[in-house]
Amino acid sequence: MTVFQLTLTTISPLFRHSLAVYLALCLAVCSVLIATPTLAGSRILGTGAVSAIEGAAGGGLSPWAVLSSTASEQEVGITAAASRAWVDDYQLTVTGASVNIYDRLELSVARQTLDLETLGGELSQDIYGVKLRLLGDVLYHPWGIWSVGVQHKRLVDGAIPTALGADNTRGNDMYFSASKLLFGALAGRNVLLNATLRNTDANQGGLLGFGGDQGNHSWVAEGSVGVFVTPQWIIGTEYRQKPDNLSAAREDDWQSLYSAYFFNKHLSLTGAWLDLGNIAGLPSQRGGYLSLQAAF
Amino acid sequence: MIYPRKHRRTRRYLRALTFVAAAFSLAGCAHQSATHSITLYERLGGAVKIDAVVENLLYRIADDPEVVVFFANTNIDLFADSLASQLCDVSDGPCRYEGPPMDRAHQHMGLTDVHFNRLVEHLDAAMQEEGIALGARNELLGRLAPMYADVMRRQ
Repeated sequence: MTVFQLTLTTISPLFRHSLAVYLALCLAVCSVLIATPTLAGSRILGTGAVSAIEGAAGGGLSPWAVLSSTASEQEVGITAAASRAWVDDYQLTVTGASVNIYDRLELSVARQTLDLETLGGELSQDIYGVKLRLLGDVLYHPWGIWSVGVQHKRLVDGAIPTALGADNTRGNDMYFSASKLLFGALAGRNVLLNATLRNTDANQGGLLGFGGDQGNHSWVAEGSVGVFVTPQWIIGTEYRQKPDNLSAAREDDWQSLYSAYFFNKHLSLTGAWLDLGNIAGLPSQRGGYLSLQAAF
Repeated sequence: MIYPRKHRRTRRYLRALTFVAAAFSLAGCAHQSATHSITLYERLGGAVKIDAVVENLLYRIADDPEVVVFFANTNIDLFADSLASQLCDVSDGPCRYEGPPMDRAHQHMGLTDVHFNRLVEHLDAAMQEEGIALGARNELLGRLAPMYADVMRRQ
């Protein structure tokens, strides 16, 4: 219980601090937890996925149907994650945390900061997410696991997005997601499939505001395929379709090749290669991504 | 490079299509690799290995206070034989499981997902320690996973 309180009180002020401070604290907390394995949830290693850039459990770019951490029924799990993406002209930093209550409800919060290294300045938004498991289980149910989620996004400073033609500085995404593990499906390895259907008006995930002269809310599809090379290590690819609402800043779909390693139920490290296409007038943004997650 | 809007849209749909096609061909491979000529039973190592896994599993259960309570009134020798014949049957071996169906065998035990997951972890760890290859482990777990519904039906 003390750990629970410690974590909740430390997370919010850290949004303002540097990634390094955050990581150090995160590592300190989780190294304490590794020494006390009884705090781990009972779900199988890897079934809580990693932290997506919007805070929910997922693959990095896209939320998945599984709920974060390894908490099962009658258990509560907490995760904290720090992520950074480096592409040609931008750098995105994400800090986030989530709570999984009884493997039924996931609450998440994330702060995204996009450094406009070439254009100058930065854009930030906060994302509050709720994900509800509707039915199933990623391992045991013939249909896999099905969830529905909402993400409420608020830009910290909407001046640049508004100047580019965005209608709003706040928006809500709603999504349905399904995930399923196929046992021994590829050369004896387990294969994880995920599909997400999202209704959104967010430009570049919300960092460039919501809606615009070219459109408003629309449905987009996201998906991923991953192979557990070992029970601890998954490699895969992810695709996220995006709306294209701003004529002043055209937008492309996102894709990634990822590799995530679960050291144990408490600690995972994700690396990825990203192709984010055109962002705010600067074309073919490609680069790397690293994300560290602690769970307990 | 600037594309006209309609071409960009086409390109986006093409990318999405490629992705979906890749996903489906993966699932196709999955289907093919499932039809092996040698049985899973043989790949697990036959009766000797299955008996070793069951024994290993029983030691793990005995050491787990949260799980061992469910075996308080169990005849362990009978249980071991029954589980071995079930694993043999499920993996296309020369056995026929003749024990009770999974829902009746577990009824009113008060099992939760926590217990189910714990047993899955113990079984996989036992297989790993007995030197069974990852592919065979995954496939056996995949054949046992659908039993979740029966096991948890009458809790």
